[in-house]
Amino acid sequence: MAEVTTPTVRPQPAARKTMAQRSTAERRLFLSPALILVGLVTQVAFLVTIYYSMLSWNLVRPDLGIHFVGLSNYASLLSSSAFLTALINTIFLTVGVLVAGMVIGLLLALLLNRPFPLRPLVRTLLITPFFVMPVATAEIWKNMLLNPVYGLISWLIQQTGITPPDVLGSQPLLGIGIMLTWEWFPFFMLILLGGLQSLPEDLIEAAHIDGAGPWAVFRYITIPHLQRYIAVSTLFGLIYLLGVFGEIFVGTQGGPGDASTTLPFLIYRTAFSNWDVGTAAALGVIAVLITILIATGFNRILLRMTGYAEAQ
Amino acid sequence: MKVRLRLGTTVAALVAYIVTILIVFPIVWMALTSFKDEVSAYQMPPSLAFTPILDNLNDALNSGIMTYIYHSVVAVGVSTIVALALGIPAAFALVWHARKSNEGILFWLISTKFMPAVGVLIPLYVIFKDIHLLDTLWALIIVYAAVNLPLVVWIMYSFFSDIPKDLLEAGRVDGASDWQVLSRIILPISLPGVAVAALLSVIFSWNEFLFAVTFTYTSAPTVPVFVSSFLTSEGLFWARMSMALSLAIVVPVLLGWTAQRQLIRGLTLGAVKG
Repeated sequence: MAEVTTPTVRPQPAARKTMAQRSTAERRLFLSPALILVGLVTQVAFLVTIYYSMLSWNLVRPDLGIHFVGLSNYASLLSSSAFLTALINTIFLTVGVLVAGMVIGLLLALLLNRPFPLRPLVRTLLITPFFVMPVATAEIWKNMLLNPVYGLISWLIQQTGITPPDVLGSQPLLGIGIMLTWEWFPFFMLILLGGLQSLPEDLIEAAHIDGAGPWAVFRYITIPHLQRYIAVSTLFGLIYLLGVFGEIFVGTQGGPGDASTTLPFLIYRTAFSNWDVGTAAALGVIAVLITILIATGFNRILLRMTGYAEAQ
Repeated sequence: MKVRLRLGTTVAALVAYIVTILIVFPIVWMALTSFKDEVSAYQMPPSLAFTPILDNLNDALNSGIMTYIYHSVVAVGVSTIVALALGIPAAFALVWHARKSNEGILFWLISTKFMPAVGVLIPLYVIFKDIHLLDTLWALIIVYAAVNLPLVVWIMYSFFSDIPKDLLEAGRVDGASDWQVLSRIILPISLPGVAVAALLSVIFSWNEFLFAVTFTYTSAPTVPVFVSSFLTSEGLFWARMSMALSLAIVVPVLLGWTAQRQLIRGLTLGAVKG
């Protein structure tokens, strides 16, 4: 750029830049603002998280100072029962909701794949829970449905003569899991429905002509065809579910005790109740490592996805 | 055979209707409760026949929810505009000046979507604190724009890729500049894509809670922060709470219904069309 305005340099070379060079510059001009913002907020911030994870730093105790402590935050986490509890809770909750959401989603997708009156309306209503604000979902379930004294589900249980349990108090992970399943099954349902609808009909017809019953069609045609969709929904479901926070914040505050504290909630508590930046950052790094582990496990699918996007 | 088929359809329809009623019941009940008085709100079984009142709407509006709604509208609106303003040119550049590095860039954008919020939460908090953006809407605008950008780029990229190549070549031959091609040829025929990207971006940031509750206190809290602050069940007013919840969820639910066809493409960043 400077060459153009400096009189000692002839302007011609700049003006005669080849088309390719110019389009490369334009490409950069259009692309870089987006890539820089995303890069700063996700990648650079994460590098800072790694750096913070090696500090001893309490935000509300400036008198203690900030010290470099190497990996000792990680070392103390590995022997901390709060961390292990949170890790186990996170795995239980994520896998439980994934399986329950997938099964319910698959059954409803199979149902929605059949023609019946008002099908578009049913489909629209069924996906509604997914759009409800997660903290609102938790308020509805905690107060109006699961409350042991006033809740509707408790009332229904009472009608059968059983004393309704305080689900969020005695089985908090189960209670949170039920809320999350209600919220997330539409996600799996929609992906699997997309898969079912892309199944060529003549394939099924041909199987019928060959004498295959409905179960054989499901087992040998539908399920193999759905594999890709199941894999994609598992990957994205796991990633999104690992980040669940608002439902726990409102539903149980991670309690009673640590009983429903998951990794995100433990990070929040460590950072914004204990103000322990180093430990919270180390937990953040561990959360990212778990995510990377899952994503790498699905590496082949991801590559196929990229190929799919190119083909679009 | 025909009889069996019709019977199957009837059974499928019945099962579908019953399941649907059960699933949406909590939402419908909440919406109805917002128009009840506090006594009938607690009535079991919940009555569907009642005289609707608007007192709760008055109470909700006077409880300060409007301030939170205003914060949400600004944070969500501005961040969506920023995400579109940066994301659309980026997606255009990927299609218009296609390079081998496209695949890498798109893949990288997906991978940033996998970054858990807790992996960047603490440095962002510290940085916003240092530059005095904590407890301002700017903190949320910056984060929401960045979080929604990969989604916008992917959706717009997939829409732009569907545009016939001849149309693009026509613009190239005319010697139009990139901005002209984008604003006069590409954008007008891609408005449905822009709408989808905007809708999804609005839904996700309207419902976002973790950043909202950590980055704002008194000057910029959004609707989810308001919803999360209801008292525990003892002494809670269901009717009033229901009205506030109804106001909080109505926008994303309506937008979600509108965008449902494109939802899965957005959530899986183009992996599945849905």
